[in-house]
Amino acid sequence: MLKIKNLISGYGSVQILNGANMKVDNQSIVALLGGNGTGKSTILKACSGIIRTWKGSINFNGEDIQNLPPHNIVEKGLVQVTQGKDVFPAMTVLENLRLGGFTLKSKQTLNDNIEKVFNYFPRLNERKSQLAATLSGGELQMLCIGRGLMSNPKMIMLDEPSAALAPQIVLDIFKNINKIRKDGLTVLVVEQNVRMALLLADYGYVIKDGVINVEGESKKLMYDESVKDSYLGGGGTTANV
Amino acid sequence: MFKGFKLTRKVENTLMLVFTLIFLGYISMSPDMNLESLKGVLIIGITVGIIYGLVAVGISLIYTGLDVVNFSHGEFFMLGAFTGLTVYNFLIDGELIYAIFPDAYGWVGYVIGLFFAFVIMGLFGVLIERVFLRPLTKKGGGYTVAGMGIIICGFGLSVVLLNLAYIIWNPTAHPFHADLGLPINIGGVTLPMTYLWMLVTGFTVAGALYFFLNKTKMGLGVRAVAHSKVISNLVGINVPLYISIIFGIACALAGLAGTLVGPTYQVVVYMGYIILLKAFASAVVGGFGSLPGAIVGGFTVGLFETSCAFFISGSHKDAYAFLLMIVVLLIKPTGFFGVQVKMKA
Repeated sequence: MLKIKNLISGYGSVQILNGANMKVDNQSIVALLGGNGTGKSTILKACSGIIRTWKGSINFNGEDIQNLPPHNIVEKGLVQVTQGKDVFPAMTVLENLRLGGFTLKSKQTLNDNIEKVFNYFPRLNERKSQLAATLSGGELQMLCIGRGLMSNPKMIMLDEPSAALAPQIVLDIFKNINKIRKDGLTVLVVEQNVRMALLLADYGYVIKDGVINVEGESKKLMYDESVKDSYLGGGGTTANV
Repeated sequence: MFKGFKLTRKVENTLMLVFTLIFLGYISMSPDMNLESLKGVLIIGITVGIIYGLVAVGISLIYTGLDVVNFSHGEFFMLGAFTGLTVYNFLIDGELIYAIFPDAYGWVGYVIGLFFAFVIMGLFGVLIERVFLRPLTKKGGGYTVAGMGIIICGFGLSVVLLNLAYIIWNPTAHPFHADLGLPINIGGVTLPMTYLWMLVTGFTVAGALYFFLNKTKMGLGVRAVAHSKVISNLVGINVPLYISIIFGIACALAGLAGTLVGPTYQVVVYMGYIILLKAFASAVVGGFGSLPGAIVGGFTVGLFETSCAFFISGSHKDAYAFLLMIVVLLIKPTGFFGVQVKMKA
């Protein structure tokens, strides 16, 4: 579904990615792991068109999408879900969701999709007329994922859905991500929480210094010593919790 | 920390109240003070205020959408006035309107003038944004070096537009004889029809803008882009298009305000800069970047200025708006509506 070949990109004149190769199969969950500043989020940003691809190709569903305008990429069905703090705080939950379905043409689909999101996250239904600024961290993350689902995407890319959340809420959100996959979507999840991510995913990539360092079935990766090495210098224990 | 923040706001509000009371007390001691003059000051203050509000809303919209203060906004106001005047004169001289609407040719022509000022200034704004500002905003706005460049370019654009108008319409004052009928009497105040037009059109447009921003899909997109361009990109909004729309709407509002003011004062090429500064003061008083704040700030500046000019001294009329701005910046730097919704940590 998504094929990244020799991706080179960065911010301004600073090169972050030095030729990353990745493949995400249809209806799978793939985890992209790595420490801070290794280029995890940069890959997502290049895929969603927020930063320019300098070299290499990003192929989505048989089409090259590198350097397309971001809204065209959303229309093609590839949506990036940012961390929970990236909502529109001065708008209500419902308005945030409507913005997620901005590319939809018919009002009927929009309302259907809102119902669909409320099925995944009933908590949002209770909070639908509140301002997003009043939500808790977990609810914000739910809102972000829900907003990503609004445009009928074929694939969503989640940027650290577990960041700064209580373990119970992380579990809840990961269960929902699994449910989303079962409903036919492909998921690429970028994570710091290695164990949780590998439990959820089918396949994993570990990125280091802008290139894919290790890859493999997530069950194998979980016990791979090199994963620990490429991860967080001295914080290797996180992979082994 | 939150508690301390709240306390400061309380102090700010108390100080604002004290300032308002002192001001009201001072003007109530004026020898001119009576019910009649108070009514007149109120109506004229609100009328002037809605004009300041319309221009200030444009400045705030551009500020939230492009992260820059548009210092050429006054010129769009001036060009709007000239557009309205030209269209009106063309229609009346051609006697076409007169043949169709013999009884109401004045206001039919005026409405068409307003419409053209709105549309042409909107399109002109989009053109300016696409041709001049787009290449600059690509490199970033706000506090970046490129952002400073855009601000300087705003001044430059202002001078260029002023001189273009100078070439086309020459520097003399053009009277705008809009034939709108006799003055009417509202609650004991005799009001020229031009003021009534300003009031009614101003409030209608402000209401329409509110409806547009809060009830339509495009308005939702405008608000989203104003908050964050990155998230707007990710939800599939065509951000460059929406930035053009934002700039166009802001310029259209300025053009409309220009044609509304035209018949009351005269249309001169220099009319832009003072309205820019006063609208800027209104936006600051209401809270920079807030749209309801811009309208409320416009009313505040309009009322303050008119009452000062009437009760204290009319010869320093233009200074009062800035006096108010300085007072508000000293006491309540965020303005009335400047407190943004904070995220819970």
